[in-house]
Amino acid sequence: MIYILFSGIFALAPPTGVKAYDTPNDRGDAITVEWLLSPDDNMIEGYEIYRSEKGKEYELVGFIGAGRTTYEDQTETGTEYTYKVAALYDSERSYSEPSPVARSEPQWFDKESVNLLIGVIVFCLIILYFIDQARRGKRLQIRKISGLDAVDEAVGRATEMGRPILYSMGIGLVDYIATIASFNILGEIAKKTGQYETPLIVPTSNPVVYTVAREIVKESYSTIGRPDLFDTDKVYFVTDSQFAYAAAVDGVMLREKPAANFFIGYFKAESLIMAETGASTGAIQIAGTDQITQLPFFVTACDFTLIGEELYAASAYISKEPLLLGAIKGEDLGKIVILSVLVVASLVGLLTKFPVLNIFR
Amino acid sequence: MKIIEYLSRLDRRIIYLVLATVVMVPLVIPTVPRVRVMTPVEKLFNAVEAIPNDQILMLDFDYDPQTLPEIEPMGVAMLRHAFHRRTKVAVLSLYVQPLGLAKKALDQVTEEFNSRATSYEDSIIYGRDYVFLGWQPPPIVPLLGMGISIVDVYQRDYYGYRTDSLPMMQRVKNFNDVGILVSLSGATAPLWWIAYSQTRFGVAVGAGITAVSASEFYQYYQTGQFSGLMIGMKGAAEYEEMVQSRLSITSRRKASEALGSLTAAHLTMIAFIVVGNIGYFIRKRKEKGVQR
Amino acid sequence: MKRRFPLLLVFFFGLLGIIPYFVPHGGYQDFDNALRNDFIRILSAFAIILGLVSLLRVHQDKIKRKRENWQYSYVLIIGFVVSGAIGLFGGIEGELFLPTKIAGFQFDIQTLYLNIIVPLGATMFALLAFFMASASYRAFRARSLESSLLLSAAFIIMIGVLPLADSISSHLPSFAQWIMDIPNVAAKRGITFGIALGGIATSLKIILGIERSWLGGKE
Repeated sequence: MIYILFSGIFALAPPTGVKAYDTPNDRGDAITVEWLLSPDDNMIEGYEIYRSEKGKEYELVGFIGAGRTTYEDQTETGTEYTYKVAALYDSERSYSEPSPVARSEPQWFDKESVNLLIGVIVFCLIILYFIDQARRGKRLQIRKISGLDAVDEAVGRATEMGRPILYSMGIGLVDYIATIASFNILGEIAKKTGQYETPLIVPTSNPVVYTVAREIVKESYSTIGRPDLFDTDKVYFVTDSQFAYAAAVDGVMLREKPAANFFIGYFKAESLIMAETGASTGAIQIAGTDQITQLPFFVTACDFTLIGEELYAASAYISKEPLLLGAIKGEDLGKIVILSVLVVASLVGLLTKFPVLNIFR
Repeated sequence: MKIIEYLSRLDRRIIYLVLATVVMVPLVIPTVPRVRVMTPVEKLFNAVEAIPNDQILMLDFDYDPQTLPEIEPMGVAMLRHAFHRRTKVAVLSLYVQPLGLAKKALDQVTEEFNSRATSYEDSIIYGRDYVFLGWQPPPIVPLLGMGISIVDVYQRDYYGYRTDSLPMMQRVKNFNDVGILVSLSGATAPLWWIAYSQTRFGVAVGAGITAVSASEFYQYYQTGQFSGLMIGMKGAAEYEEMVQSRLSITSRRKASEALGSLTAAHLTMIAFIVVGNIGYFIRKRKEKGVQR
Repeated sequence: MKRRFPLLLVFFFGLLGIIPYFVPHGGYQDFDNALRNDFIRILSAFAIILGLVSLLRVHQDKIKRKRENWQYSYVLIIGFVVSGAIGLFGGIEGELFLPTKIAGFQFDIQTLYLNIIVPLGATMFALLAFFMASASYRAFRARSLESSLLLSAAFIIMIGVLPLADSISSHLPSFAQWIMDIPNVAAKRGITFGIALGGIATSLKIILGIERSWLGGKE
């Protein structure tokens, strides 16, 4: 009753100044509608957005809560629209004036990503510079990574004992960087084991990873002139179920008793289940992953662990390929540059009012 | 001395046997210890407490059977909290596997409330007090789509009803109407809600995660991207503690009951490590003595 | 040529993969989605066939040569054939033409999944606790200053999260929380940072054909 009386004498104020424009940096299917709050904003429920396609009736396309002044509407590319915004209070609506005509167009370049693009280009240029230096014959040194020095020892021991080597790449898909890094190391290890004719067992957990791994081992044996060593049954697919894969690898370790186990790639909770079983068989264990939560497990259960980017650097380290070493040198300098930028920006942000954070948006 | 040396070189199987025993005994005789609530859980509880009347709690059930014991109690405690203060709840899963587990938790808590209810108003009614949106693949669709319209992403709910016909969904359009979204997951689902839904639409996100993956999530809590965190069995028990002490709901507290096992297991492992270290030092001293 | 062609392909598709981050145009985004979703799905479908053939071959060979525990290979092959047949012809919940219920005994894929895979998975996950116990017992030794620090941090966290921590000292849980909040996050950020940049560098090396260990290295 009170409400009816109230609404009878009360006229709801509409939102004003409605603007509509093509949403910037998008695929071309959205128009942004903007308005000024209704003077009654503090009591209304929200705003309804109405759209009209050239000359046609207005239809409701969206609702947004009180206090908000923009709405992104999904539209057809290239069609012209006008918008109205209505303040809503129970079933009372108060419509704004229509907006000027707007049309959504696709953009070819995302201007908001310029900072990212510049960052990536600078970082890549630094790396390329060092690769070029290496190509010109400049000798580059990188620090000792004991986990990788142990690879020779592991292969040697397996050869002496006449036992195989196990190489697990974990449960990553083919496009994970850890898997890709693992492929590179697999290539190097296959070459080393091939030279000593030590069997290399590679159980995989993904069919695509399996196909690539098989080709890598095959190619590596060919490279050292021993294509005859390749045995299709040593590189095989097990299952893509996480724990079933772990159980299968555990089984291989207990039956075949490899002299060395490599766990290199993308691992989740199965990491320790495999590494601890391997430890109980007395094998030399070398692990490497970029999964931070699994690192502690590998560190406790394995003899050597490659942490994060050491994994990416591994193939350069093992192969001693000058160009790859150059890339690592460049990566390090790039890191120093980016870190310095971050430190300076943090200081500027903390000490002055300069809106330095916007650079990183 | 001999005993310590023996204890510091125990066979793995003995360790496994001892651990299995100390974990099992407290489960047979469940007791609820006093739980001190830490800030991440308190923040989450307060965030739910602060949901205004016209907004809802959105719960993402994304744990699988492996992580159910740790995470299910969190979901149950949060549902109790929301139903108690009459906050409307929307439940969903990003993957198909957790759907059955979500339904199990929902059925349990609604039954708890409805068995005590005395009237229709007092009951927890589907469609009025909560909806079960179900599953809409691929995950990216709900993560981004719900910023624009929830009923467009989930046109039918888990039971096959049209979502736009449900009373509760009349007022709930998109993330603007979600007070907080809490993702319960044994994997990385909570990070996706931050990466996609929060950056794009500004929705508040909380998370319930396993203890083993905790360090992966802390940095996002520290930056304020997570409004609160429940970590493992202990986090679940803390939420249960808040639900009981602040709202006086005295239902069964599964996570708190398991804390006895957790305590016993931690203490056993600490004991093993200490003994192992003492043995290590004794051996080292002996070796030094021999060298001299 | 045998080496150069794959390198060219990698270069081309590598660049193609970077472009969508900077080009929001609808047409290009759709093309990119097709490449990522449809192509990868088709590739995976073929790879699954190759993978299964490989798995079955390994076990067939095991049976033929009577290698250690060869009997279990029969379990795998029978399991593969039976679950494949039930899934293909019986449907997930027994909705297809193959009967999946005999005298109250149900064996559709959903039932098999819930009653075999789920408990097996849960058991393997639970094993983790035991392996953690034996690994920490063996490896957690205060060998150096660093490992002693690590050991004390581990003790504080392990006790700090327990309900009885409060009765030891009211500061203990807060201190454990502080370790997780500050030193833990700092270390993690450092590693994340290195991993992110290392990822860019690795991708760059592969796209430019500098890293070619995956091709068996240089000739």
